[in-house]
Amino acid sequence: MAVISEARPARRRLPRRILISQSLIQIFLLGMVVVAIFPFIWMIFASLKPFKELVESRALLPETWTLRNYEEILGRVNFVAAFRNSIVSAVSVTVVSVFTSSVMGYIFSKYRFVGKEILFTIILSTMMVPFAVIMVPLYITIANSFGLADHLGGIIITGFYTAFGIFLMRQFMESIPFELIDAARIDGASEWRIFFTLVLPMSLSPMSALAVFVYLFNWDSFLWPLIVLNSQDNQTLPLVLAGLRNLWWTRYEMWAAGSMLTVVPVMAIYAFASRYFIRGIAMTGLKA
Amino acid sequence: MTSIADGSGASGRAETMGAWFVVKKTLRKPQFWFGFTMIVPLLIWYWIFSFWPIIQAFRMSTVAYKLLDPANSPFVGIGNFLKISQHPLFLVSVKNTILWAVYSFIFHLPLAMLIAVFLSKVRRGRNVYQALIFVPVVVSLVAVSLLFKMLMDPEVGQLNKLLSGVGLPELQWLSSSSSALPTAVIIATWKGLGFYVVILTAGMMNIPSELYDAALVDGTNPWQQFWRITMPLMGHTILLITVLLAIGSLQEFTLPTVLFGSEGGPGNSTYLYNMLIYQEAFLDIRFGTATAASLLQFAFILAISVLQIKLIRPSWSY
Repeated sequence: MAVISEARPARRRLPRRILISQSLIQIFLLGMVVVAIFPFIWMIFASLKPFKELVESRALLPETWTLRNYEEILGRVNFVAAFRNSIVSAVSVTVVSVFTSSVMGYIFSKYRFVGKEILFTIILSTMMVPFAVIMVPLYITIANSFGLADHLGGIIITGFYTAFGIFLMRQFMESIPFELIDAARIDGASEWRIFFTLVLPMSLSPMSALAVFVYLFNWDSFLWPLIVLNSQDNQTLPLVLAGLRNLWWTRYEMWAAGSMLTVVPVMAIYAFASRYFIRGIAMTGLKA
Repeated sequence: MTSIADGSGASGRAETMGAWFVVKKTLRKPQFWFGFTMIVPLLIWYWIFSFWPIIQAFRMSTVAYKLLDPANSPFVGIGNFLKISQHPLFLVSVKNTILWAVYSFIFHLPLAMLIAVFLSKVRRGRNVYQALIFVPVVVSLVAVSLLFKMLMDPEVGQLNKLLSGVGLPELQWLSSSSSALPTAVIIATWKGLGFYVVILTAGMMNIPSELYDAALVDGTNPWQQFWRITMPLMGHTILLITVLLAIGSLQEFTLPTVLFGSEGGPGNSTYLYNMLIYQEAFLDIRFGTATAASLLQFAFILAISVLQIKLIRPSWSY
């Protein structure tokens, strides 16, 4: 072991010019990082300050640390229900649409049937239609035909398929060789088995990318839940949080506490899985 | 297994027994049933939640929609389109929306490019920087709106305390009709930038480093490398980003609504087109004019996207 580490050449000194440019780049990126995360750090401490201190003090850290804001907000607003609603809708939409996208990506890339390309083109072109165009007819359908007005199901059912997801998965599955699938067919595997034990395991990385994408989009979704969900107990986090503005006009310590309650759980996940988030977004950009 | 064995032997008989046999053969293929059970739900879902609403939107835009008796809504032709164009806030919202999109481009593109260039060049800590710059993307937009409304409060906000602390004049930020819109776009940029940075960085890391080595041998400076290598080879990524940015910013709704309420900022200065559609549809309950307004938006976004593709699309591909 010692021999190997001695044998390794001493770390080469970088040329002076590169050293300077690298330092400048580091300083610039560090500045960007500060801009990106400092507002949160301020908010963390703001949520622990009493109102008077929040509006008067310039200091970042609280003089009097308090958890009263959290007590008051949890006593007045049903954050637990909002949280549950957000998780249920975002997770079920993500699970279902990642599955449907994978299946349809597989079928559109490996199957031949009449009207395949036309169907695919039509589905893709629905992506061009702004949401505002369908929101009124869609609401009427959800409310009248399905009876899902003010119901979480109205949010979930409209997210079962995503044209973008089908497109992304098809792009990827074009690269799976036909021979592999044919070989499995000759070995007598059923189509279900081929899909679940051969195609899906090969597609895990675009699937996780798509999952991140769909999850972020749905977790943050505002307009459609605003239309469908009216009563507070059925609302998702973004709606309940936006409601704080009217509930406590300019009581900033409550805003900070409420925002923290919605931000912290996501950030906790992000702290461990940031790699997958970024790879997911990067991959969608490269594939699309 | 059986279907394959049957299929090879049956091909000769298929000619004599005609079309019925071909159908029967297809039905026996396992691929058929797998495809069938997957495609049928897709067709049903797309019909109910996508195609039918789009068709309905075109129909609704031509009638004075009666909420209680929709089947008997009287036909008004292009009446809804005329009505929405005469709405007192129509021109204001169109102007604000275009301004919002223009500011979005100005604030997003150069900064995202700059950060991406530096991220692709930095030798240490790229992943950490990228992860931290991406943080605002993960946070709920509503929380971001509240956060910046606090920071930008003209009287008690931290930003003005900071400005006066270093002897600069305090700003009105979101509270004056002249600065509210650009300030709101700055917030949107802060929240969205990481997304574009990640896509651009991935594109830049994809450019083969031999090209830069060769350019270095030829004695080029970083400025020339950026304009002669990076920009031309990033054509497809840049096209994707500009299209996404245009589509997104022309449909902005959440940020101005949470920041200012549904009336949109001091003196309607941040009242955007999507807020007009929302107000028509769900506050004033005029479904006909609302869908007419949304179709105008559709046409406009389509035209802008086609224009961008015509202008930016590179003539080559990888």
